[in-house]
Order: sequence, then C-alpha cells, then structure tokens
Amino acid sequence: MNIQLNKDSEFIEEFETALNHDGPFSSWDLFQMSYLSSQATLTTEFTGLIAPKHLPHVEFLPHQLDCAEQIVEEMNGRGLLADEVGLGKTIEAGLILKEYMIRGLVKKALILVPASLVNQWVLELTQKFYIPAVSQGKRPVWDQNKVIVSSMDMAKRSPHKEKILDQEYDFVLIDEAHKLKNHKTKNYEFVRALRKKYCLLLTATPVQNKLSDIFNLVSILKPGHLGSYEDFTANFGRDRNNLFNDSHLKQLIQKVMVRNRRGDTKVDWTERKVQTVSIEFSEEEQEAYNRLTAITRDASTFSSITLTRELCSSREACYLSIKKMLSQDTEIPNRQAYEDFLKQIEQLPHHAKADKVIELLKDSDEKFIIFTEYRASQLYLQWYLQQHGISSVPYRGGFKRGKKDWMKQLFENHAQVLIATEAGGEGINLQFCNNMINYDLPWNPMRLEQRIGRIHRFGQQHDVNIYNFAVKNTMEEHVLSLLYEKIHLFERVVGNLDAILAELEINDVEQEIQTIFTESETEGEAKIKLDNLSSVISLTQERINSKEDWNGNRESS
Amino acid sequence: MAIENLHDFLTDYFTANHCGILENENGKVTIQLTDEMDELIMNRPFYWHYIKQIGQQGQPMKVTFITNPDRRDEQGEWVHFGSPRLHQIFNTLGQQGKITRQFEQVDTAMQRSPLIPWLVINLKIIYRGKHKKDELLSYGLQLINGTLVSPMMDKLIKLKLHTGIPDFCYTITPLIRYKSGYQRIIRYVEKYLNTKDYTWAKESWEHLYEEGKLLEYFYKDVSTDGEKQEQLKQSLSEIEKRFRPNISIDIVNGGIFYLSQQTSNTISSNG
Repeated sequence: MNIQLNKDSEFIEEFETALNHDGPFSSWDLFQMSYLSSQATLTTEFTGLIAPKHLPHVEFLPHQLDCAEQIVEEMNGRGLLADEVGLGKTIEAGLILKEYMIRGLVKKALILVPASLVNQWVLELTQKFYIPAVSQGKRPVWDQNKVIVSSMDMAKRSPHKEKILDQEYDFVLIDEAHKLKNHKTKNYEFVRALRKKYCLLLTATPVQNKLSDIFNLVSILKPGHLGSYEDFTANFGRDRNNLFNDSHLKQLIQKVMVRNRRGDTKVDWTERKVQTVSIEFSEEEQEAYNRLTAITRDASTFSSITLTRELCSSREACYLSIKKMLSQDTEIPNRQAYEDFLKQIEQLPHHAKADKVIELLKDSDEKFIIFTEYRASQLYLQWYLQQHGISSVPYRGGFKRGKKDWMKQLFENHAQVLIATEAGGEGINLQFCNNMINYDLPWNPMRLEQRIGRIHRFGQQHDVNIYNFAVKNTMEEHVLSLLYEKIHLFERVVGNLDAILAELEINDVEQEIQTIFTESETEGEAKIKLDNLSSVISLTQERINSKEDWNGNRESS
Repeated sequence: MAIENLHDFLTDYFTANHCGILENENGKVTIQLTDEMDELIMNRPFYWHYIKQIGQQGQPMKVTFITNPDRRDEQGEWVHFGSPRLHQIFNTLGQQGKITRQFEQVDTAMQRSPLIPWLVINLKIIYRGKHKKDELLSYGLQLINGTLVSPMMDKLIKLKLHTGIPDFCYTITPLIRYKSGYQRIIRYVEKYLNTKDYTWAKESWEHLYEEGKLLEYFYKDVSTDGEKQEQLKQSLSEIEKRFRPNISIDIVNGGIFYLSQQTSNTISSNG
C-alpha cells in the first residue's frame, strides 16, 4: 500500500556535530526524563479520548464525552454541534479542540464568535482547557501558529479578511452558526472559503426557517454529502418538517450532526417544583409604592423604573438609590417629591417579602439559597434573618475565588441560608442544596436559568424547590404572571428560549421589559404590552417545538 | 518505564537542573530556581534582559508546586498530567535531554578494562490517517559487532551511568560509523513497519476516495466555472490533508553509551 513515510533528517546531523565537538551532552537523568516525557505524551490508541485525563478539574457529563468522541471518531473532526441550550456546546467544542491539540493534529485554529462572546470564549479555553487562546485584539497577528478567537464581524472585514483567507487552519470553529444559513451572504462565503482541516459549527437551531438552512450548513462541512442543491430540493422538498419526517434525510444528517436534547442525556435530572409565592404589601407599603409610581411617572426614565423595582425588594435598596440620585443629579424636576418620599419610606415597617422568607424558613431545617438583585436587600436580609436566629452567609460575584470557596464551605457545613446577588459566570455549584427563593426576579430569563442551574445540576439528588416571590399589584406580579408564567419559563428544563428570542430578534429581554414599563402611560397599557410579548414568544415556541420531532437517538455508524 | 510518580519526576527534574529543594512534603514542593531555570520556565525575558543590561546579579524566583490534588487550594501551582507547566517542562526536556554520551561506572579492581560503544536511539512512530496514534521505540546498536537490542532503555536504567569515564577504563573505537549505525536502525524500523497491520490506512484511503467522489459530484454541473473549480480544488486538498495516511519517524533522543564487556554480553544475549 502506498503510505508516505516521513523521516527525521536533522537529528543525526546534530548528533554527529555534538560527538565531534565533544558535547554538549545531557546528563543521564535528563536523558531518561526526556524519554519518559515522550512516553507520557504518547497517544497509544487511534480511538478514545485522552483529553479528559488532562483536565482533571473539569467534570464532563456523559453526553458531552459521547459527543466529542462521535465528532472525532465518526465524523473525523467536521460536524455540526447542535445541542439544546444549556447542555454545554462550548465544553464539547473545547474538549474536541483539546483532543486534537494533544494528539498534535491542531496547532493553528480560528474561533469565530459573536463580538460579545469573544472574551468569554478566551476565558473558557484558557482556564478550563489550558488552551492558550488569544483574542484578536486591535492589531491581530493572523499568520502565527496560535489559537485565535475573533468576532465574525472583524474577521470578515478588510484587511483582516484577505490575510485570514491566506492562512491554512488546522481547525475552524463558528459559534452561532445559524447565521450562516443563507449561502448568498458574505458570512457564508467567507466561512466556506476559509482553508481548514477540521471544522465545527455550533448552533442550537440548525433549522430555523427553511430546509435549505441545513443544506447550506452541511455544505460547509462536507460539500456533496447531501448531493447538489438541485438533488436536495428534488429529493427532500423545501418543507423543514421533512428533516424529521424523511428517514433517509434524517440518517444522512445524523452523520454530520450531533444534537442532544435534555431528555436524551443520560443524566438523571431530578424534578423542578416551581411555586409562585404571592405577597401582599402592608397598607403603608402599598401606599408608598403607589406614591413612588406616581412620582416616577412624572419624569419617567430607566432609572425611575429601577426605583419601583427596588421598592419591591427592600426599602433599603430604594432609599439608597434615591439618595444617590438626589446627590448626583441637580436637575430633578420633582426633587421635593422625592425628598418627601424618602421620609415616608423611613417610616415603613419590615418588608412583606422579608417576613415571608422568615415564614418559609422558620419551620424548616433544610438549606436555602436566596437570590436578590440588590446589594442593599442582601444586607438587609442577612440582618433580618439574624434577628430571627437564622444563620446566613453572603455571596457575590465580585468575591475573590478564595472567598467564594470559603462562603460555599460555610454554607455547606454551618449556615442554613446563602444570600446571593449574582449567579453568573464561573459561579459555585451548590447541588447539596435543593431549595431556592427568587426573592426578586431578574428581568433577563437567561439569568434566571443560571440561578436555577446552581442547584439543579448534575449531582443533585433531590427534587428542587423554587419559590418565586412577587408582590401583588406591582410590576413584579405583572412580569411574573403575564410573562414568565405564560411562556412556561419555569416548567421547561432549560428550554429553547434563546432560539426563540434569536428568531424574534430580541437581543435583550431586560431592555424590552424596561421599555414597556417606561413607555406605557398607564399600568393597563404596560399589562397589555407584556401580554403581547408573551403571546409572540409562546407562538414562536409552539412553532419551533412542532417542527422538531427529533427522537434524539443518534445513529452510530 | 513510565512516569509513575509525578511528584518525584518534578523533584528529580529540578534537582537534575541544579535547583535547590527548599521544602518537600506530602505532595508539595518548594524550589529555588537557578538563573538558567528561571529564564527557561518563568517567562520573564524583560527582567533578565534588563538585569544583564545593567550588569547586576538577578534574583531567580522560588516556586511551589503541588501534586497532591487534596492540597490544590493551598498556595502554589497545581501540577498534573494536563497542566501547562508540566508540558512546558516536557518541552524543555526535548532539548535538554536530546543527546548524551555515557560511560558505565564499573568497578575494575584496578584492571585495565575496555568499554564497548553502543548507539542508542529512542524514536517515536506517528501513524496518521483518519485518526492518529504513536508508538515509542528504543533501540541499541552495538557498534563493534552490529548486535541490535530493543527495548534498550529498559536495560540501561538498571546500570550505573555517568558522563565521565571511570578510572582504568578505556573505550574501544567503533567499527560501525555513527551515521551508518543510525541508518541501520532506521532500516530496521522500516522493516518493522512492514510487519504491521494497515487496516487503518486502507480505511483512510477508502474514506478519502469516497469523499472525493462526493465532492466531484457536488461540483459536476459547474465544470466550466473557473471559480467553482478552484473551490473544488481547495476542498479536495482539505480532505487529502485530513485523510491521506502517512507515517513519521521522529527521533526523541539518542546517545553513545560505553558499556562494559560483561554488560554488553548480557544485554546482547537476552536482547
């Protein structure tokens, strides 16, 4: 058989030179160690993953390992990674890249992601995978053997574009690849033209609108796999439902795509029990709330919306913000009204929500996590719990790693409650706790998912109880009942919400909600708008769900 | 042979590089680097450049490495088989441990004794096709009578070796030149490769052929379109790179080892 054989021609020259010059020679110890290190970095088998052994600090889930193995072994490093949101596409992609780097098959790689995710990718690759990835920076050096993370927008612009197209990459990764569904776009042509050996396309929504979406994506990875475009439309039509109805097409697609849905993962996810806890303001509180609504409506801005939100959380949070606003901004038209209002909230009794927390906790000896949006509420709650003999520890995203671990330990071993303001990023995993109180709700549903993900994760043994607090007759209640509950945000175990939002081109739900409240003249108007928003989301959700009848069992070839 | 104890490996590495071990207990070791080692692994070239410019004595760093995972949260750098530090050390060894000349330290009882030259070559074979794997081989060639022994390193680690020739010993000049000895070893490796199973390469060829056919079909209707033909060419070259089987022989390290007559005989007879 014809197999190319490459021989090392440099060594013997170097060797003879050293012997002729009587050195330099290495010591016996170093010579032995050099041999040992070669042995330690050996890949003795064609198959199987070695990367996980190099990453003892990362706990991979079974479906993530399966996915990486499938892409490397069966798809030979070119595949569409289309797991549902929250199952760890980034981790799977990192694992695949790491495997190729350890095996010495990838040195030069290009990772193209949305601009807002560049830093996150760099962090994830360097910290979790020890892959020396660099972000493109202002003056990128494209021609070195490196792993570069860049935004698609930058890469496809001159003069970068031309330089990038001159390179030969061992590995190219495109995040949010559904943006490549149209083969007539510049993005598509750019990615197709990249010279690449291995290639991963990441998307949670491989078919967004038309069946040809998937044809175009697959044609980047493996042109001809689905035949020519004419064959494809002749054989399979244009209806996207055919992707799931036509078994031949399904089989073909499964050779280039891995799609895990939460139900397919071998992880035994425990149940999520979600409960809305409706709270009634005391008379004084309700009066203060109404008054604040009136004051802020006079001069409505984003920050005035925040004030009302804060009052729903704690008077402390609201008080501090108003104080700050008054001291910083000299041109507030209704300054006097605010100042009077400050006096009013000084007189307020304990917050109705805080009392509810005590009521929930006092008869329980189980551990609870309480999430609040505001630092002031966090402090207040800590103090209030302590007044009732309940031990708690604070947790903030800004804590240093050591402090975070320490707080986690205190919570695990000593305290009953952890009061946290932030769940995102490299947060802690608290699967030893299975009760969570959303003391106030974030207006970004993805953050809610991150919160819940702290306890409802791999390793959780019990069903998870989630208590969502909302004060009646306030904006909190509206957001919860008109939006979150209507779109079934809580029932879904990490749903396809981001796909829906992408399809609706909603980038920022928080801003959307804020706009609704700021721009509505009356409460009724805000309610109607919220209701409309949730209807649109629900409709899209139904449409997406109906088009995907993927039984999830991937075929192994 | 294999790295059985990572902690000992690390400690040995720094000791072999003349660094002081300041503290060493329960999977945590603190090392005083030398100037050379600091320059080699601490990645602060500006500091050393500056120090040399002003003609001062540099302050090499102290470093603490932790190999015991239970202590990984303590002060120090956790080192494990995947950590960048270990792979940096492996890389330095590629150069530091590349070429050697060793003499067996024999007790001659004041008798003049000959030492026989052996050429030792350790090499890695890399098989690449759809997938990839490596094999590490170690050969010793006796440069007087041409006896070939494998695996050689396993025999050598049992001996007492040093870079200086022991008293009362003299070396015998090789009859086989280094270069032809080396070529003999490589020919032997090629013969060994001929005995291997090549199902993997066959599969890779077949796969390459199949994907090539798909590509040609994909572009069949545009055979006159120059731009599309370029695309086809690029795609074909990409699958070639990905699937075309090839084998590389990479030399890890090598050396001349002068061994006593008795050791040479023992090694040859069970080799």
